[in-house]
Amino acid sequence: MEALTFELKHTPEERLDLSPLTPERLDGLKASEVEALAIGTTRVPLSVGDVFKVKGKDAGEIRFAGTDARCDKIGAGMTKGAIVVEGDAGAYLGAGMKKGKIEVSGNAGALAGASMAGGAIAVSGHAGERAGGIHVGETLGMRGGVLTIGGNAGSLLGERMRRGLVIVGGDAGDYAGGRMVAGTILFKRGVGANAGFGLRRGSLIFVEEPKELLPTFGDCGVLEFDYLRLLEHWLRANEKPINLGTRARRLMGDMAVLGKGEMLILA
Amino acid sequence: MADFQIKGVTIVETFAEAFPMVGTRIIITAPTLEWALTAARTMTGFATSVIACGAEAGIERTLSPDETLDGRPGVAVLLFTMDTDKLQRQLRNRVGQCVLTSPGSACFAGLDGEKKLKLGASLRFFGDGWQMSKMTGGRRFWRIPVMDGEFLCEATTGLTKKAVGGGNLLVLGKSHSAVLAACERAVKAIAEVEGAIAPFPGGIVRSGSKVGSKYKGQIASTNDAYCPSLKAAVNTALPLEVEAVLEIVIDGLTKDSVAKAMHAGVHAITEGGAEAGVTHVTAGNYGGNLGPHHFHLKEIVAWKR
Repeated sequence: MEALTFELKHTPEERLDLSPLTPERLDGLKASEVEALAIGTTRVPLSVGDVFKVKGKDAGEIRFAGTDARCDKIGAGMTKGAIVVEGDAGAYLGAGMKKGKIEVSGNAGALAGASMAGGAIAVSGHAGERAGGIHVGETLGMRGGVLTIGGNAGSLLGERMRRGLVIVGGDAGDYAGGRMVAGTILFKRGVGANAGFGLRRGSLIFVEEPKELLPTFGDCGVLEFDYLRLLEHWLRANEKPINLGTRARRLMGDMAVLGKGEMLILA
Repeated sequence: MADFQIKGVTIVETFAEAFPMVGTRIIITAPTLEWALTAARTMTGFATSVIACGAEAGIERTLSPDETLDGRPGVAVLLFTMDTDKLQRQLRNRVGQCVLTSPGSACFAGLDGEKKLKLGASLRFFGDGWQMSKMTGGRRFWRIPVMDGEFLCEATTGLTKKAVGGGNLLVLGKSHSAVLAACERAVKAIAEVEGAIAPFPGGIVRSGSKVGSKYKGQIASTNDAYCPSLKAAVNTALPLEVEAVLEIVIDGLTKDSVAKAMHAGVHAITEGGAEAGVTHVTAGNYGGNLGPHHFHLKEIVAWKR
């Protein structure tokens, strides 16, 4: 069966709430029912059929084509299946998702993967601020799963993250890993100011040494970590090959709070 | 008795009587295979029989770096006891005293299974609050700070209640050296079998036992029917020309793994034929009423998976 495809007809005149278009919510719906789903965010009624050309049948795999930064909440709260976005995604991409897989060929807006509990999100381009951060109405950020950002990440990446793995291919903004409770962020390039601000537990792994380090992180020197071997092995097995090596400088912090977190700067 | 022969060695028409056990597998890795083996040998030391050791354990096989989770050389260890609580206690004590302490070691689950045993989940308390939990690929690992860095240990490992203990082969021969050589061959062959170990020293037991004793409080005593020096005095099972008997005891994660190991063992024992000095292969049982698993030698010889 062909993937259920939503092709954007024209630039929408308002932001769209695409959270109804997830595999579990479209499962078993007829084409006419899908086209009638409301996705508008203003007082003017707007349904799927007004904005998207709908093709294909298999709701287990959903494709969005030609989407732009106004297409919010793609895959938000999803619990199964796969979503492929050929284009950009708006805010709340995969926010609160529990299972499944989302791939975005372009950029994602603010709060991508916010408070997600499981599954995998891969954004090829950049992600906006608060990726992996706190979803509206939540107290904690990402709680599980893997969020991969190919390009740059905005500020407050992984804010109050609790579990899970974030990988940033490009540069991350200010306050990366801010107030993190636990979890892992792997930075392949640079970070902005105040990385690890308020870090309670969790690991910030840097391939490149950050330009500035908070003074509330204490140096433990360079040593070998079998955990890095484990992580590298897992990354390789999951088609994200990154050479971590085994040696890293460990800084513990943020000593201004609990201080049981760490920065591992690969040596 | 419908005994039969392989290369002149008599295979006695009898069966090995085996018992249900609970078992688990863990993977130990280290900077070198030698250190992984050191940790594994230490952990599986004094684990020949549940009667007095609390557990039966052995090294199943070695693992190459591309087979382990951390890309280092490793060793797969099997551990068996009679019930889950004892298995949990033995696992915690043995890993805690022998693997945690071994330089550069790490420890991972080696078995899936709905039921889990605590591994790092109890050893983490050694970290005194400095331990860190890391979820990777849906599995939880504990990083416990130690003097040479960190002890990485998976939180849990699976257990199986379908394990089988006490599969055995008795080898009779015309000289001690002939019987020992045959048993050494068998142990080597059994080592190739997945999911099975021979827990006794070098895989071989010289002191087979019977249940009970003339002495009060002694629950097991020497298997006099198989003692060559007592042929004249007891109801012996040995022909006059037999000089020595050795036994191989096999524990496995499944009934199949024990059968496969016994199959490999019988054929290795009879490899040299009667000329090599081996006269009989038989097996130990208690009449068939105690253990639910019966491995008939006739079926074992022809056994195919």
